[in-house]
Amino acid sequence: MSKEEIFEELANAVINCKADLSKAAAEKVLAEGINPVDAINEGLVKGMNVIGDKYAAHQIYLPQVLVAAHAMYAGLDLLLPAIPKEDLADAKKAATAVVEGDVHDIGKNIVKTMLTAGGYIVNDLGKDVAPSKIAETVKGEGIDILCLSTLMTPTMDNMKNTIDLLKEQGTRGNCTVTIGGPPTSPSFAEEIGADHRDNNAQDCVNWLKGQ
Amino acid sequence: MVAPMTPYERAIATLNNEPVDEYAAYPLVCGLQRRLLPGTVTYKQWATDSNLCAQSYIEGFNKWKFPFTVTLEDLSVTAHDLGANVRMDKENTPFVDGHIIHDMEDYDKIQAPDVTQGRTGHLIRMNHKVVEGLKDKSFVIAFLEGPLLTLSQSAGAERLFMDMFTDPAPVHRALEQTTKMCCDAVDKIAEAGVQGMCWDYLWGNYTVLGDKEYAEFEGDKYAKATNEATRRNGLGLGIHNCADMPHLDTQINKFGVDVYSLAYYPLAEASPNMTKVIEDGYADKCTIFGNIDPQMFMRNTYEQVYETTMNLCQEAKTALCKRGLNTHFCVSSGCEVPPDLECHIDNVTAVMDAVHKFGAGQ
Repeated sequence: MSKEEIFEELANAVINCKADLSKAAAEKVLAEGINPVDAINEGLVKGMNVIGDKYAAHQIYLPQVLVAAHAMYAGLDLLLPAIPKEDLADAKKAATAVVEGDVHDIGKNIVKTMLTAGGYIVNDLGKDVAPSKIAETVKGEGIDILCLSTLMTPTMDNMKNTIDLLKEQGTRGNCTVTIGGPPTSPSFAEEIGADHRDNNAQDCVNWLKGQ
Repeated sequence: MVAPMTPYERAIATLNNEPVDEYAAYPLVCGLQRRLLPGTVTYKQWATDSNLCAQSYIEGFNKWKFPFTVTLEDLSVTAHDLGANVRMDKENTPFVDGHIIHDMEDYDKIQAPDVTQGRTGHLIRMNHKVVEGLKDKSFVIAFLEGPLLTLSQSAGAERLFMDMFTDPAPVHRALEQTTKMCCDAVDKIAEAGVQGMCWDYLWGNYTVLGDKEYAEFEGDKYAKATNEATRRNGLGLGIHNCADMPHLDTQINKFGVDVYSLAYYPLAEASPNMTKVIEDGYADKCTIFGNIDPQMFMRNTYEQVYETTMNLCQEAKTALCKRGLNTHFCVSSGCEVPPDLECHIDNVTAVMDAVHKFGAGQ
């Protein structure tokens, strides 16, 4: 089987939401000694982009996107550890988190997926994450991009608290901060000192790539 | 010129598309009203004490003379009674932080509970007391999560959506139970004497589900049952959907609602604003509640909220006129007014003041 055929298998596994096929194709990549970065970009990411386009066109909906993302991660889980460290030197590091006091993470998870598909190395801190933990991660791991999310109004202030901590520790200037979630707005982003607020994950990643 | 009406008369006229002295207005103030109670009542106390909760709605009416009163607590009530763990912070809206679905077998463990117990029971008792206090003064509409929202709150939305796609049969069996719970609840809530029932059918949203998926997992069977139970109890049928792309054709035209409460997201291109919803004919069929941005109550001044309400009244008036409607419109907030301690109660007054001044009906 050629390299291109394996890439096609990876892409189709994502498009058809088949985690088992994604994993099997990723195993072939490793067995054949194919560059895992090429397999991710030409296979998994290509498939996820098809899903993203179909979702944007309302040809498919959120359940299919989530299952396709699951298939993508099944392949990624095998391929990412196989990438030589020197090949990741230029990749930007991103962190995602739902801020403390909130556990609604479906939007954050889509952002994480789209960032991964966009070539970023993502550290997902999860939900209900304290500002201090986020700030420590930004500093400790040299995070380039921080994506914060909340669905609820009372927890919006924890976005500001996080940014304030980044400023205090002197890492704000090295880190692009985006926010999202229904109660947020561009004016709120400006008010708290974030760089950007977006409506959806794909647009957010496109904005980040344009920076 | 219509003679001055009582709030209740205004509500009835609004629902019947009859001329009104001024538009009905009801920002969805719920937990915020705890701050109208004597002393300091925390959100947690408000959410767990049916007397305090009911009294806050009565105080809200006393202060603002709302034609409608929608007895929303939060969206974790039914999931809590199904066994989900709900976090109740002192001053935050309660929310689910521990789901009950961990594998596919768990869907079959869901059983409709006794709705007179737990938080649904609390909600029922609260509605009794609200009706006692507001009968013939305000049109009281109870509020509850619909079958699919109940399940997503219990299972976790992401997990549920994936399971809907990969293994739908157990999901349907669980939905049978959440539907039974919702129907049992409306039977009991109706005994309180409320006049309407508002279901939160949040997932009728094109950002999340298409027509086919929504029909399969709520519209065709489960919402049909809860809508029928609402009608069978002699209640007006309301739907609240604060999604950015609501399924208006299904939820208004097909379900045949009396009241539809929707939000507007100016930053989301496809989100319909009030003018569009009225001009597209949806207010021909029901009363539309909407849609001042709830965040304005928190982050804007009295003057800004007043001006926004004034503009909404004028835009709605033009749109209603084009459709030949008298009213079928209620100034509202599209989603709950933030219950935060920092939220400006005066901004609710700003809405009411602006409606008194600029909301004269057709």
